[in-house]
Amino acid sequence: MRKDIYDKMQILSDSAKYDVSCSSSGTENNYKTGELGATQTSGICHSFTADGRCISLLKVLLTNFCIYDCAYCINKVSNDIPRAAFAPRELADITMNFYKRNYIEGLFLSSGIIDNEDHTMNLILRTLRILRNEYKFNGYIHVKLIPGSDARLIEQVVQLASRVSSNIELPSDKSLKLLAPNKTKEKVLQPLKLARDISMERNKKPIGMSTQLIVGATPETDMDILNLSSVMYDKALLKRVYYSAYIPVNDDKNLPILATSKPPLLREHRLYQADWLLRFYSFKADEILNSDNPNLDEELDPKMVWALNNMQYFPMEINKASLEELIRIPGIGVRGASKIINARRFKRLNFSDLKQLKISTKKAKYFIVCNGKYQKDIPMYRENIKLDYLKPPKPKELSLFDIDYSAITGEI
Amino acid sequence: MTLVYDGTFEGFLSLVYEVYYKKFQVEKILREFPATLILDDIITIEYDEKKSLKVLESLKLKFTKKNFSVILNVFMCDSKEFELNLLHFIIAGFKNQKQLENINLPFVQNIQNLQKELFRHNHKMTGFTRFVELEDGLLYAKIDSKFNVVYFLGQHFLKRFNNQRYIIHDIKRQVAFIKENNFVGVQNVAEFETPKVSVNEEKFSKLWQTFFTSVSIESRKNKKLQRQMVPLLYRTYMNEFHN
Repeated sequence: MRKDIYDKMQILSDSAKYDVSCSSSGTENNYKTGELGATQTSGICHSFTADGRCISLLKVLLTNFCIYDCAYCINKVSNDIPRAAFAPRELADITMNFYKRNYIEGLFLSSGIIDNEDHTMNLILRTLRILRNEYKFNGYIHVKLIPGSDARLIEQVVQLASRVSSNIELPSDKSLKLLAPNKTKEKVLQPLKLARDISMERNKKPIGMSTQLIVGATPETDMDILNLSSVMYDKALLKRVYYSAYIPVNDDKNLPILATSKPPLLREHRLYQADWLLRFYSFKADEILNSDNPNLDEELDPKMVWALNNMQYFPMEINKASLEELIRIPGIGVRGASKIINARRFKRLNFSDLKQLKISTKKAKYFIVCNGKYQKDIPMYRENIKLDYLKPPKPKELSLFDIDYSAITGEI
Repeated sequence: MTLVYDGTFEGFLSLVYEVYYKKFQVEKILREFPATLILDDIITIEYDEKKSLKVLESLKLKFTKKNFSVILNVFMCDSKEFELNLLHFIIAGFKNQKQLENINLPFVQNIQNLQKELFRHNHKMTGFTRFVELEDGLLYAKIDSKFNVVYFLGQHFLKRFNNQRYIIHDIKRQVAFIKENNFVGVQNVAEFETPKVSVNEEKFSKLWQTFFTSVSIESRKNKKLQRQMVPLLYRTYMNEFHN
């Protein structure tokens, strides 16, 4: 049966949706007079799906035909699912028309491996050429590099794309061997290293790159994952690591069976929080986790955990602490810290001033001194703070009429 | 004391003049004469070109470029009662520009927050505005927005739709940003015929809706989060939310 364009869109976006990355930020403004398209440094979200994730880019696969057989992937060759492919020009036309209606910020192009790696990369490159050279499109284009494709092809893609990525998917070589027999760690890292070297040669700033790690499909600890991310950031290989809570789409004897039907979203959330600490709060990976505590706490966020384990730094005087110190206080972020610094040039701040500045002290109050004053209710010990912070909110005062008489009298 | 002015920027400048020279103790500023009785002195300030110009001149002279644009921006937040805070902001600015950085002052914080809210709103609108292509290739967007942001939006799209003609039409405020071959800028638009869309319009709108539904992951469904990210007030003209 021939598929119409709506079927193709349905199939190919459905197959691409497990890629988390959808950011369009971090590029410089690049519009040209008389041409279409510009990128915005902050990135723009154009809509939000029913699962609450941002839609910024038209995220599709060029094709979901694939010769690989990765256990976790919905498009693996042994799956019996509807397959489709876009022609490069067809996809370029859709992109242009979506862009003109302001549906999207640009294109996120990935693909299953059709025939072989080089052929697939070539099709992607052709789409890029139509968009950039023929249609003069300056909007955002994110390309997933195909591991194992020719260096010359990668070089040309890197020149045309705004950002490239290659998904590592699994945090260790052992897991890769188990679940993705056609991939090795070397193979998935190869395009990233290549792309970095190529863009470093051309201009001083390396092209933005990202990767994705699946969380909860294999037994790696949070420490393994975070260490991997932190190494990538340090080597300037990546700008961003995405974490994707494992969602079972296939049955495979090597895949775990989830205890609940929901993907491990809280673990994913905690990993993102820890990742933010690495990137914006100058934390080191070993400050957040170590071999005694290899996993992130589910109840408390990683910064709070760090603070409770390092009480020697606290309490901090809000009126004296430096920016670097302020952002280590749980509940105070980069924005809050700069507000404090701005406000204290004019007066000494106390607790009510923080409230007036709309800085939440729910977490911070245990760790700060405002103008020499410390909150009096809770003694400054690890256990007391934890207990107080985690205690359920006070129930509303019962009025006489709210009492459930049936529980007492047995009446229904 | 309650003051009433005509709701325009020029009228507000006249009000600033009166308050500054007559040293009124203002408690409330209204845009229309109240229908109900208030037990308070009410003075209506008429627009006076000379007075307004004088205030405008001194604003340009005494205020830093940044603070001057704050005043203009805050005036775009027309669905909020910003007048009293803005009045304090201007009078404090005449005395000392440095004080306008002091976020411990309630009115400075209020004005700064309002400007932030405006920019945040505008940023969301840059993503949530939807264009349709008309028969002659012109891109036409209807918007329904909390603040008066057509100018900012128009500027934003000037970069990305540099080779296109487009109109961004604020239906409620009856203003539009127009980029035609020979005109670029904001205009009042009292009436606008419902235009004919191009032949391709339905196809791409349907494709977009197909994409929108199929990228969502069922097992992560979270309608509350979606509501938080795209509040209902933005959805009036977003085609993916109206099937």
